[in-house]
Amino acid sequence: MKTAPLLLTPLALALATPAFAVEKADVLDNYANIAAAKYADSLTTAQRLQTAVDALIADPSAEALQAAKAAWLAARVPYQQTEVYRFGNAIVDDWEGKVNAWPLDEGLIDYVDGTYGGPSDENEFAVLNVVANPSFSLSGSDVDAAQITPALLEETLHEADGIEANVATGYHAIEFLLWGQDLNGHDAGAGNRPWTDYASGDACTGGNCDRRAEYLKAATDLLVSDLDWMAAQWVEGGTARATLTENEDAGISAILTGMGSLSYGEQAGERMRLGLMLNDPEEEHDCFSDNTHNSHYYDGLGIQNVYLGEYVRIDGTLVSGASLSGMVAAADPALDAEMRSKLSDTMMALGRIKTAAEAGFAYDQMLEQGNAGGEALIMGGVNGLIDQTRSIERVVATLGADAIEFEGSDSLDNPDAVFE
Amino acid sequence: MRLIVLLLALMPLAALADTRQIVDTQILPGVTQLAERAETLHKTARQNCTPSMPLKDAYSTAFDAWVTISHLRFGPTETDDRAFALAFWPDSRGATPKALSKLISQSDPIAQTAQGYRDVSIAARGFYALEFLLYDPAFTDAGKPEYRCQLIQTMTADIALTTRAIAQDWHGSYATKLIDPSADGPYRTDQEVTQELFKALSTGLQFTSETRLGRPLGTFDKPRPLRAEARRSDRSLRHVELSLSALQSLALALASDAPELQGTLDQRFTKALEVAGRIQDPSFAGVADPASRLRVEALQSAVEAIRLTVGLDLASHLGVSAGFNALDGD
Repeated sequence: MKTAPLLLTPLALALATPAFAVEKADVLDNYANIAAAKYADSLTTAQRLQTAVDALIADPSAEALQAAKAAWLAARVPYQQTEVYRFGNAIVDDWEGKVNAWPLDEGLIDYVDGTYGGPSDENEFAVLNVVANPSFSLSGSDVDAAQITPALLEETLHEADGIEANVATGYHAIEFLLWGQDLNGHDAGAGNRPWTDYASGDACTGGNCDRRAEYLKAATDLLVSDLDWMAAQWVEGGTARATLTENEDAGISAILTGMGSLSYGEQAGERMRLGLMLNDPEEEHDCFSDNTHNSHYYDGLGIQNVYLGEYVRIDGTLVSGASLSGMVAAADPALDAEMRSKLSDTMMALGRIKTAAEAGFAYDQMLEQGNAGGEALIMGGVNGLIDQTRSIERVVATLGADAIEFEGSDSLDNPDAVFE
Repeated sequence: MRLIVLLLALMPLAALADTRQIVDTQILPGVTQLAERAETLHKTARQNCTPSMPLKDAYSTAFDAWVTISHLRFGPTETDDRAFALAFWPDSRGATPKALSKLISQSDPIAQTAQGYRDVSIAARGFYALEFLLYDPAFTDAGKPEYRCQLIQTMTADIALTTRAIAQDWHGSYATKLIDPSADGPYRTDQEVTQELFKALSTGLQFTSETRLGRPLGTFDKPRPLRAEARRSDRSLRHVELSLSALQSLALALASDAPELQGTLDQRFTKALEVAGRIQDPSFAGVADPASRLRVEALQSAVEAIRLTVGLDLASHLGVSAGFNALDGD
């Protein structure tokens, strides 16, 4: 395992960079190119989802619902790989809550099972049920929800009452509308919403099928327009790209911040370890669709491909160029080897979760109290992510030292100089 | 969003922490005290499990000891999810009351032994779960009295076991790993050790400012007094004070070879503790009232002032960056 990256690194470097060092500007350019490709792919797959949703609404059937679900699952593949652009890029953080907020109190949106409970200490709108209620009162003002529009979801309902669990938009709201609640507890099986929840007339189940369809349509259209906006921020001349490249050191810092924060606090902590420690199947990231194993896997892959500077697009083409890996290899080849090997170990561990889930051992089951095999699988992923974070911190230290040597910063060598 | 700062990392002549002094005078006494007090808590619960004075006193004393070391979130506290099992908070989805209700309504026999109880959700373990059983009227009378008693005794036994394991690991080998870093240990260099200790300080401050104070404060229009930490036992303000005192000792030790910086840090901590001392609202229930809210906001500003000095001056003195911590997610 360890010799391969050591052998490959100098070779790759020699090819990519005839000069003595990898240029930061090139690394940032490639990082932005990959972002542009990932968000463009997310947009394309969301548009396919939109087509499938339109077909479901026009002519509801079990097949049409299944096709929409398949489109949603495919749309998650490129999107999850973009999550590594969060935390380091303010423009992504400010926007991300609209498209991928989680966890949600789904009773805000539509009917839920009796065991779900009512309004809670934390959220009095946990069972608002917009689909069933064309008007209601929210934080003291009356809301007209006769028409369910993207504007209503985005401006009025999303994070209603300042509660983050009031998720009205994005992938997970759509996921709930396609799959429904997963009522299988720790057993295998996803949500099982009948296609007749979208049927017309007497065939309609769950009530208000037309309003449910209106909600699904509004949420899907909004997802497409939000992704369209973000994809535009990363093309040549886009704001996200311009901000990233304004200051090269800050740009490199943004890449590492995204990698480290997603690895540690977000994925290893909030999404994986917490659910395991709580033994709570509701703590699954893609809990309605039982797609959590993929969600984790593609998050991990996003971290790895940003470091390596290579991304395989949904049409199979490769986007690649100067990488952080090359920069680290130039400064400290052993550290680059360590970083690559840690990232591979994590992908192996996340791959085990994915393969076990695909073979029938659902993520819900892995989370169950006393399920030793499931715990080992999930902790394998958690430990890999924690371990790679330590190496990311070493990369920060190493590149930071370089930056200082290169620039001989006045403000650090002679603090008073700044004020002269 | 917080960008890690590359430029500050690893200055050539960076100062190193006096690790041995921090381990000997802060960490080891802290974990020993916690284990001893948790043992006393368990003994007290075995003698009398009613949620009244002797038990509440022992609970309070042991909880104090936890808060005092709660910023040391690395190594022994992270093995086997020990810190989570002692302190699951914040609980934004009400997992703790939910998990406890389930155990009590079914008189779940898993509460018969502390060993078995280790498999229970962390939401039903540790100091924050125990607080419901000792202080929340919805739980002090819930279910069968014998089961409640057994649950309290098992939970305190579980706390005692967990804290003892933390103390044993620190005394056994982890102190040495920190004092003498080595290529095959968790820390390869003194610089990495300094980074870990600095991270404990900066994360501890962040937690006190953003979570202990920020959660109940909410916004001016929407204050959230019910989100205050350990409000049922009136311990919210106390936790801020205890954590600031502990973090003060750590900060001063990290700045021990820079007298001027040490003085500034000392001043900032002293100021924050003074502001805290003027608050007469132990559970932050007053965050909804503009006048008393102002005092809690002032305390948060004072903690933010410490964070600024730590994040800029102390970080640059030690040549470290904040690194990544558990609060980085959303």
